[in-house]
Parts: sequence; C-alpha cells; structure tokens
Amino acid sequence: MRSSVSLSHYKRVMGQGTKVRRFLLWFLLIIILALSFKASQIDIRTFIDGMPHALSLIKEMFPPDFARWKRIITLTAETISVGFWGTLLGILVSVPLGIFSAKNTSPNAVIYNTSKELVNLLRAVPDIIYALIFVTAIGIGPVAGVIALMLATVGLLGKFYAEAVETIDPKPVEAIEAAGSHKLSVIRHAVVPQVFPLFMGYNLYALDHNIRAAMALGLVGAGGLGIELFTQMRSFNYQKVSAILIVMLIIIIAIDRVSAYLRKGIIEGTLFSANKFRDYVLMAIVAAMAFISIYFIPVDLKEIVYGLPRIWEFLSNMFPPERSDIPRYIWLMLETIAIGICGTFFAIVISIPLGMLAARNVTHSPVISNAAREIANFLRGIPDLVFALVFVAAVGLGPFAGVLALALHTAGFLGKFYAEAIENIDPKPVEAVEATGARFLQKIIHAVFPQALPLFNSYNLYILDRNIRASTVLGVVGAGGIGFELIMSMRIFEHQRTATLIIIILITITAVDRISAYLRKKVV
Amino acid sequence: MLKMESIHKRFNGAEVLKNVDLKVKKGEAVALIGPSGSGKTTLIRVINGFVLPDNGRVVVRGKEIDYRKKDELRQMRKRIGMIYQLFNLVDRTSAIDNVVSGALGRMDRGFELISSTIGLFSTEVRERAMELLNFVGIEDKAFERVDRLSGGQKQRVAIARALMQEPEILLADEPIANLDPRTSQKIMELLTKINRERGITIITVLHHLESVRDHFHRVVALKDGEICFDGRTDCLTREHISSIYEFAGEYECAAA
Ligand SMILES: Nc1ncnc2c1ncn2[C@@H]1O[C@H](COP(=O)(O)OP(=O)(O)OP(=O)(O)O)[C@@H](O)[C@H]1O
Ligand SMILES: [Mg+2]
Repeated sequence: MRSSVSLSHYKRVMGQGTKVRRFLLWFLLIIILALSFKASQIDIRTFIDGMPHALSLIKEMFPPDFARWKRIITLTAETISVGFWGTLLGILVSVPLGIFSAKNTSPNAVIYNTSKELVNLLRAVPDIIYALIFVTAIGIGPVAGVIALMLATVGLLGKFYAEAVETIDPKPVEAIEAAGSHKLSVIRHAVVPQVFPLFMGYNLYALDHNIRAAMALGLVGAGGLGIELFTQMRSFNYQKVSAILIVMLIIIIAIDRVSAYLRKGIIEGTLFSANKFRDYVLMAIVAAMAFISIYFIPVDLKEIVYGLPRIWEFLSNMFPPERSDIPRYIWLMLETIAIGICGTFFAIVISIPLGMLAARNVTHSPVISNAAREIANFLRGIPDLVFALVFVAAVGLGPFAGVLALALHTAGFLGKFYAEAIENIDPKPVEAVEATGARFLQKIIHAVFPQALPLFNSYNLYILDRNIRASTVLGVVGAGGIGFELIMSMRIFEHQRTATLIIIILITITAVDRISAYLRKKVV
Repeated sequence: MLKMESIHKRFNGAEVLKNVDLKVKKGEAVALIGPSGSGKTTLIRVINGFVLPDNGRVVVRGKEIDYRKKDELRQMRKRIGMIYQLFNLVDRTSAIDNVVSGALGRMDRGFELISSTIGLFSTEVRERAMELLNFVGIEDKAFERVDRLSGGQKQRVAIARALMQEPEILLADEPIANLDPRTSQKIMELLTKINRERGITIITVLHHLESVRDHFHRVVALKDGEICFDGRTDCLTREHISSIYEFAGEYECAAA
C-alpha cells in the first residue's frame, strides 16, 4: 500500500517541472539539429560514396614530393614571420588599449567605452576576413597577413589585458597614488609589475595562435605556407600537397612543445617572475626572432604608406552597402550557422570517446591517454581552413566539407577540455558507485558524467560560438556558407556587396557571442 | 560470512596491515576501532577489493576472492554495501537518482544492463528506491538535489543507496565522523535497525567509543596494523582502551 503511494508521489513530482522542461529542450535541440543537417546537405550516402575517392586521394599523396623544398623553407620562415610580426604589432597596440579599456586604469568613461567597444569590434571579425580585406586593398603578400593578424590580436589581447588589469590588487596602486605620483608613473610602478607575468602568458598564447593562423592566411593570399598549399591543391599535385602538410605538422608539433615548456615556466614562476637574468635572455631570443622576421618580411614603409590611401579608397568604395540581395544573404547566413551547428555536433560526438580515453582517471593507462592526447593536439593544431581545403578535395565543394573540417579541428579542443573536466571530478562518488558492483559504462554514465556535464555544456557552447564564427569564412576555400559570396564579391570588386556581407557576418557573430555567453552563465 | 586470513599490506615499504585474521558471522555487528593510521580504512577497503592485499586470503560466503578476476570482484561487490565518512554521493543529481544507482550492480545482464546504463530504471526499481528513502526517513527529499541536503540527510541517502544493493554485508568507514552528536545518534540507530531487522552483517569503523558501547556487541581494535583486541564490547576495559590509544604513554609524558 505504501509503495503505491510512493509511486504516485514519484510520478507526480517527475511529471511536472523538470521532466517536461527537459523534454521540451531536447525536442527543440533535435529540431534545430535536423534543420541544420538538412541545410548543410549532410548525407550519409554522399559520405559513403565519397569514401573511395577520399581514399584514392590519400593514396595519391604518397610519397610526399619535396622537390620545391627551397620554396617551402622560405615560406615556412615567412609563415613564422607573419605570425611574429602580427603578434608584436598587436601587443604594441593592445597595451595602451588594454589599459584604457580597464575600469580601474582608464582615464575617463568616454575613453573607457570607446576603447572597449573598439576591442569588441576587432574581436568579432575573423582574421581571414581581415586578410581578405587587406589583400584586396594593398595586394597579395605577407604585409596583408601581418596587418590582419595584428588587428585580430588586438581584439584578443585587448580584452585579456583589460581583464588582467581589472583584477589587480588595488592596495599598491593606492599607496603610490597617495604619494602624489603622476598617473603614468602609477601605472609603471604599481600596475605593470602585477600584470607583467599574466600579460607575458597571454602574449605567448597569442604568438602560438598566430603562427598557426598564419599557415591558413596564405589560402587567401596573405603570405606564408598557405599560398603554396592552395596552389598545389588547385593543380592536383597531391604529392606536393602532402609535403606541405608534413611541414605544417612539424611546425605545429614544435610550437606545441615550446609553448607547453614556456607555459610551465610561467606556472612554476621561473619565467617572468621579476626582472631577472632569464628574462633578458628571453628578450634576446625575441629580438633575434624579430631580426629574422625583418629579413623575411622587410617591412617596407613605402608599401604601407602607399597602402594607406588604398585602404581608405577601399573602405570608401564600400558605401553605401548594397541592399538588394539582403534576403538571399540572410538565407546564406542561416546555412552558415547550420554548418557551425553540425560541425559542433560531430565534434561533440568525436570528443566524448576521445576525451574519455585521454582522461587519465578513466583509462588508467598512460599509453592510451597519451595517444588520445596527441590525437587531440594534432587535430587542434591544424587550422580548420587547411582541413576544409583537404576535405573539399576529398568530398567535393560544399558545406559538408566545412562541417567535417570544423568537426575535426574542434574535436581537438573539446577532447582536451573534456579530458580535463573528467580529470577534475571528485573521485569519491565514482568509487562509491563502483563499490555497488556497477560495470564500467554504468559507472561512467552514473557517476562521472553527472559531475562533468555542466562543464561539458559550457565548453560545447563556447565551441559552438567559435564554430559559427569560423563557418563564415569556410566558403573562401569552397567549403560552404556565406564566405564564398564574400570572396567572390571581393574578386570582382563589388565593394558595396562586400560591405553588406561583412555587416551581416558581424551582426551574426556578435549576437551568437552574446547568446553563448548568456547560456554559459546559466549552465555552470 | 566473511573470513580474512593473515592479510598483509604494504604501502611504499611501510607495513600497514600485518597478519590480520578476522572472522565475522552472519548477522553480526562489528565495530572497528583504533588510532589514526592504524589501518582501519585499509582493512575495510581490502574487503571490497579497492585495496589488494599483498598476502593472505579473503573468503566471502565460503568463496575465496580472486582479486585478479574483475568479474568475480564485481560479483562480490554486489553483495557488499559501503557507506563513507563524506557520503560520496553524486552531486547535482537527485536523492532518488543516487539511491537507484545502488541497483546498477544487480542490473548487469542483457536488456537490464543497457537500460540501466542509459539511466532507464523499471517501475519496481524506482518504487523500491522510494521505499528505502521512506525507510531511512527522507522520502520527502527524494527529488531534491543531494548537494542541497544536510549531512545527516546525505548519509541517509547513502545508506539507502547501499541498501538498494540488497547487500549481505554493510561496510561503513566512520559514517558519523562529520555529523553532529544528535544526528550521529540517529544514524547509528538506523544502522542498528538495519542489522537487527534485516539481518545484514555490519562492520563499522568508529572513533566514538560511546556509540560503540551503545550499538555493538563485538569490537575489533587495530593498532599498528595488528588486531590487538577482538571480543565482546562489555569485555573492553579502560586498560584496553588506554593501551589501544596509548593514553598511558601520553600521561607519562605529561607527568614527566
Ligand atoms: N593508497 C595509499 N598509498 C600509500 N599509503 C597509504 C595509502 N592508503 C593508506 N596509506 C597509509 O596507510 C596507513 C594506514 O592508513 P588507513 O587509512 O588505513 O588508517 P586509518 O586507521 O583508517 O586512519 P584514520 O583513523 O585516520 O582514518 C597510513 O599511514 C596511510 O598513510
Ligand atoms: Mg580511515
């Protein structure tokens, strides 16, 4: 008798509130996913039919052909130079902008708001779009790449710097202010010492990111290895393609190791801890890199001076934006968003097993978890546009190639994030469930997932945001979405169309960014 | 029911368990006491296979456990419930979800395995979980997230989860160490009730000697990895306690 009372109680409680809401949420998700699948033309049949073609493509890649090794070496150096210069110039602009857009160091509200919004705007535009703009305005070559990366870096570092400055300890600042010092000297003596290690950490991160990004910039003609990859791909020289891919891989692995080593130095406090000898050594290395970079990209003042009016001309040609095709562009934008959603979906599907294998507390086998980690690093290291270019050759032009590219590239991120989230869970409840005699998967699903799920969701939203932004430029290599329209409008100098497209892209990216930030706050 | 013979365990060279022999009959309630670091937790964890002994045999229900055979270990764990000092519930899920997870071990074949793995439990299982929550006295909190419950309520959920296994042995490692005296008393009463009414064998690590006297007829004391007392609670004298916890030595030091 008691049990029936309990059961009705159970049903009553579970029948209301949470269960219904959860059901509706899933229903909504599935509908969005189904629509996105349709819009990205995902079709298992095409995929299976394409398999033999993809396999023969891989076969054609072997053996790699390094005949143009001299050019590859030059372009490798150019790639690094573009990344380096973009980062350096970005840092120079970001320092004042970061300080101006931090609440506690900004001179006044007007400067605070203007610089903050400027940083936000700069961050919203994908680096490839900057590259496209500057290639069109000042011509093909590494200088366009440097400017593109510089602007993208300011968007990134400006925000990081401001956040770092806003979290400093106010006491030393007050002490020096109380001594009647000038604002600049307060910043120099009270703010800089506190944020220096953090800034340096972010700078390294930006350098790491920019060298990777520089590999893809060449796909639109903005210098570096990407140009060669694009050319060889278009002329079906797959053996030369594989040679370039191998070089890219080596660079990625090298960057990964070096930045991991340096990050460790920062965390352990052996680097940038104070004005020590080691830091001067590092500065010397940076100076040497700068010198090499000047050698490979002679920063031609003339070129930049001549370029400026052309950039102005380009910008003024954009107005007024063309309005006739807006409905079609909005549909294209929806297709683009669909690519981002599908890419994220498949990234999640890949990352759940990948992340579990990489989590040391799940596999208990260093061999398996290290192997999974290496796979994740590899996927993360290859820019999505490079993946996209390869997939376009394998499965044909269209959104499907873009979906695959986003899925693989971001599975690298998610796999790593998931593994870290799983490694940080509380092991005690897991043992308790294991002690009931539960099997491995039961244990994972009932004790591990409930703990890691909020973090998983937060990462998923972050990746979704990132993928929708990235999907706007996939069209540049023919992998679907609005990017194709963008690059075509630039090729045929329809600048007013270009303006409309960029505005639509910016609005979308900003909206998605806001929504994702809001949802992320809700899930954790 | 449970027989441990000459159990040895070393951690990084240090002998934590030395030649431990222990026999527990069906339906007994045993309190395990001893100073910190004496190896109580280790001993408990040997019983359900989370610590592998270096030497010795563990026999449960007449069957020697082969720790290398995963499935045998799992079958044994199904019969042994465990409750912990820090409750070890899965936060962010409801009390009833936690209780139901106690049935996972039993649902390890065929369709039941698949459905339980993905979180679908039959009406019987859910009803049973509700009954157990009722038995431990917190039916009204069934759908509350466990991280919003008080310590005593959490321990009740954990006990219900262990009972969900339909265990023959219930192990507890300092189940009341994080609870206030009144709540502790209630949890101990609950454990005693489980032992008396359901005939479940109970082995509990306890630091609270009053609780030991009130609720257990048998006491086993560990000291430096050896059993130094094993007998009826009313035979446990002050002298025994002093020597187990080395009060005498401390008094001497204080006097000197
Ligand atoms: N996994 C382990 N690795 C290394 N040493 C361990 C491990 N588990 C326990 N030990 C050591 O074994 C000894 C006994 O530990 P155990 O946890 O069994 O003691 P305890 O009697 O439960 O103590 P307490 O009353 O403080 O809980 C301690 O010295 C401890 O440091
Ligand atoms: Mg212990």
